[in-house]
Amino acid sequence: GGAHYGHQPSAPYGGAPGAYGAQGHGGQYGHGQGVAPGAPYGGYGAQPHGGHYGHHAPAGNFKLSNIPHGVNPEAHQWFQTVDTDRSGFINLKELKQALVNSNWSAFNDETCLMMINMFDKTRSGRIDMFGFSALWDFMQRWRALFQQYDRDRSGCISSMELHQALAQMGYNLSPQFSETLVQRFAVRGVRPGIQLDRFIQVCTQLQTMTQVFRERDTSMTGNVRLSYEDFLSGTVTRLM
Amino acid sequence: MAYHSPYKAPPHINAPPDQSFLWNIFQRVDKDRSGVISDSELQQALSNGTWTPFNPVTVRSIISMFDRENKGGVNFNEFAGVWKYITDWQNIFRTYDRDNSGFIDKNELRQALTGFGYRLSDQFYGTLIEKFDRQRKGQVAFDDFIQCCIVLQRLTDVFRRYDTDQDGWIQVSYEQYLSMVFNIV
Repeated sequence: GGAHYGHQPSAPYGGAPGAYGAQGHGGQYGHGQGVAPGAPYGGYGAQPHGGHYGHHAPAGNFKLSNIPHGVNPEAHQWFQTVDTDRSGFINLKELKQALVNSNWSAFNDETCLMMINMFDKTRSGRIDMFGFSALWDFMQRWRALFQQYDRDRSGCISSMELHQALAQMGYNLSPQFSETLVQRFAVRGVRPGIQLDRFIQVCTQLQTMTQVFRERDTSMTGNVRLSYEDFLSGTVTRLM
Repeated sequence: MAYHSPYKAPPHINAPPDQSFLWNIFQRVDKDRSGVISDSELQQALSNGTWTPFNPVTVRSIISMFDRENKGGVNFNEFAGVWKYITDWQNIFRTYDRDNSGFIDKNELRQALTGFGYRLSDQFYGTLIEKFDRQRKGQVAFDDFIQCCIVLQRLTDVFRRYDTDQDGWIQVSYEQYLSMVFNIV
């Protein structure tokens, strides 16, 4: 249950949405070359072509009038590229092909599945244009946050950086907590730190589970007494 | 209600298949001949009994259980464990899926989990169906059933670690709670 549609990072984000990753040359889908691996959000720091996205229809195969109300025009353009089977929906495989970390590694399955669940209003295991547009905004914000907290520009978040990030987002957690998370989610063979996909996953789950805890910590003591079944159901229903 | 006997690994039902049989299967599943079966290779090889792709989350859970070096897949030796694990689950699932539909309903899920030693309320079985019914049929398919059992087992294990007096209740701080939950993410 509970599609967290339009779920947003709780923290203020520094970067202007749309300034990163989105290579705004929409309409060129099908050219078969020149697209960076996992194009839409790819390219750490790639600049969009011109700020007036959506206002000129490149190659004539994209009409502004086709954009449904409330859909980000840039996301609308990318939807065509990501929806490789032209089904009108983005499934796990298509999403995974479209999303990359700063080291060009593909997003992990867990994060992709989590995001599909968040933006899949129909619970069909895939996302439509509206869901994709919301996901697009969600990704832009998290990417900006990631870059903001990756202070040494290493392309990944160290446990120290994660601790600082969580503190700035308002979480009161020990440095050991961040260290455990980074140890757990760091990719082997890469420098110790988490990539964008894990950062999004960790922060989103943290938000959700903090909410679950809050609902039970009615007297706000920071401690809760939980029965076995309450623990199970709180976790099972909300964990994505 | 407290948990009494914890869920155990599926009982050993079949005699272990011989090595050449397994090697044949391994080679067919290992499409890129890398010597390691990846998530997508295993997912393509598995059937949940319906015409839908095998739950990728279940595939990930199973591979991570047997992938000792954290290489993102299983080699031939580890594959023997994967094979046995899946066939054991298959046998269990079949005993509850009496009409061979590929799905078990809430009652059958309750029977299965009660058989594993879980004592859970009727309401909670509703919650489980709601959560693990990926195909929106009000029932649970084979792959989702495995995932349901894996999640329940992990949550029960972590709960037990905190429930030192075994009364079915725990008292935890915010950070302890998060640590518990991230154990199963």
